[in-house]
Amino acid sequence: MIPTVSASGLTLRFGGTRALDDVSVRLAEGVTGLLGPNGAGKTTLLRVLATAVPADRGSFTVLGHDPGTTAGRLDVRRALGYLPQTPGFHQDFSAFEFVDYVAILKELTDRTARHREVRRVLEAVDLSDVRGKRIKRLSGGMRQRVALAAALVGDPGFLVLDEPTVGLDPEQRMRFRELIAQAGEGRTVLLSTHQTEDVAMLCHRVIVMAGGRIRFEGTPAELTDRAAGRVWSSTERDPAARAGWRTGTGAFRNVGDPPEGADLLEPTLEDGYLLTLDGETAEVAA
Amino acid sequence: MSDDRRTSDGNDMSGGSRTTWHVPQEDLLAYTQGELTPPRLWSADTHLAACARCRETLAALSDPVALDAGWERLDAELDAPRPGPVEWLLVRLGVADHTARLLTAAPALRRSWLGAIVALLVMTVAAANAVRAGAMPTLFLALAPLLPLAGVAVSYGPALDPTYEMAVVSPLHGFRLLMIRTVAVLTVGLGVNGLATLALPSYGLRALAWLLPALALTATGLALTSRLGPVLAPSLVGGGWIALLTVARATTESDATLAPFTAAGQGVSGAVAVLAAGLLYLARDRFDVSHLPLTDFTDRNAA
Repeated sequence: MIPTVSASGLTLRFGGTRALDDVSVRLAEGVTGLLGPNGAGKTTLLRVLATAVPADRGSFTVLGHDPGTTAGRLDVRRALGYLPQTPGFHQDFSAFEFVDYVAILKELTDRTARHREVRRVLEAVDLSDVRGKRIKRLSGGMRQRVALAAALVGDPGFLVLDEPTVGLDPEQRMRFRELIAQAGEGRTVLLSTHQTEDVAMLCHRVIVMAGGRIRFEGTPAELTDRAAGRVWSSTERDPAARAGWRTGTGAFRNVGDPPEGADLLEPTLEDGYLLTLDGETAEVAA
Repeated sequence: MSDDRRTSDGNDMSGGSRTTWHVPQEDLLAYTQGELTPPRLWSADTHLAACARCRETLAALSDPVALDAGWERLDAELDAPRPGPVEWLLVRLGVADHTARLLTAAPALRRSWLGAIVALLVMTVAAANAVRAGAMPTLFLALAPLLPLAGVAVSYGPALDPTYEMAVVSPLHGFRLLMIRTVAVLTVGLGVNGLATLALPSYGLRALAWLLPALALTATGLALTSRLGPVLAPSLVGGGWIALLTVARATTESDATLAPFTAAGQGVSGAVAVLAAGLLYLARDRFDVSHLPLTDFTDRNAA
């Protein structure tokens, strides 16, 4: 793996909480998923890497640029596309005007070249037909695509997407996944999500965070492998299981340390994720 | 349409379509070279969008690169956002189109905001003219400096700029965006205040005693924003101004001029404005990172 983004020892506190606690990660070209429960520090990590807030300690580089210096930060921002957790819009702007506005913020000052770029990204997110519509008249899924178009404008090498699939219906989510997969070709994408399916379908690599720390970094297959031999089926909920739930067949799917002779099941990414969180939570609590 | 607007051979090239006129060959040639000028250019643009035959002729005449450029220009004109009245005026006044667009996103340049300011000033001026008490229009002088402060405050920061987080991480330096908007909002705010001053002719130049306090409050508000954030800083400065006037009122005889509007008070306002502007410049890099508190995000996550 050739890292395009490298972070080392990132720490950020507020109040008595460590939002980031000695976080070191490396990202490469393609889509990397960032999984974690609420309050894990995912958004804080994304905001630090997007240069919105500085870390108290630690350093990172993006595509060889060091945001610790004024010139380096400018270079990082020139290479950055950022879709915040709750992207805000000027509601009276049309989709075209909004993306055009973001393009101006990204220093595309030549009108002709800028409009060409705005048309390109709106085409890429399949919004060409509604480009003249006011944002307040667009559906939630379309607005999210406008925000993605704004992140893609200027062809950034590093794309930071904070829970972009939240609030989308299943069809919109599928469409959005396709767009993110396309965006991941030839650039580094960091995708924060609650959805293990997003990671399973999209990501080359996955990072799991909890309590401001990195709990796992590897491929989705490696995360799934963490649950190999640790998922079993039973007719009643197994008290030995760390987690168990009734599935559509009526049988219980248990995750944890199986008893002798248990009916083992094929693990999924979600099982690996649950075990990763569960083990680490126990360790932190101890 | 005159004959010279027909094709050079005078034939109808529409091949059965309803179009009877086609772009003359010399115009198409000039078009491919980017040398056709309005209004012939507009005429050619409109016609080419609807006429396949002329597009074919054009394709035969031009090299592909120039042709693409022509189409692109046509597309761009059709897509280009229609500027609102403020943006149109700014561009006419010589402001670059991209800067004008950044400005129109500032809430303090919107009609609703401007309307509220004008209504407030009209009422104050009417009151000052109706109840002429003392040597100064005190209520007007007290209120006028607060309007530019508030205008600048609502044009920047996470509370009122919905795209704040995206703007902060853009290559355009946060301080530069702040200054672009501040200059515009100040120009408009001071202009409106100035017009209101003209409606108080009986006070003469004394009715302009709001100007230096307005600059001092705005500069101080912005300088403190770098430390205290975009909500607390202007609120404190506005509150401080009202407190100062209240104390001055309580310690001054009823028909005497309040201290901030005396010559000495004006001198102090000028000095504060310059000092605050200096501090603001020194703190410029603090505007290049987000002022959204981290707790906002953890609360949202926990919710």
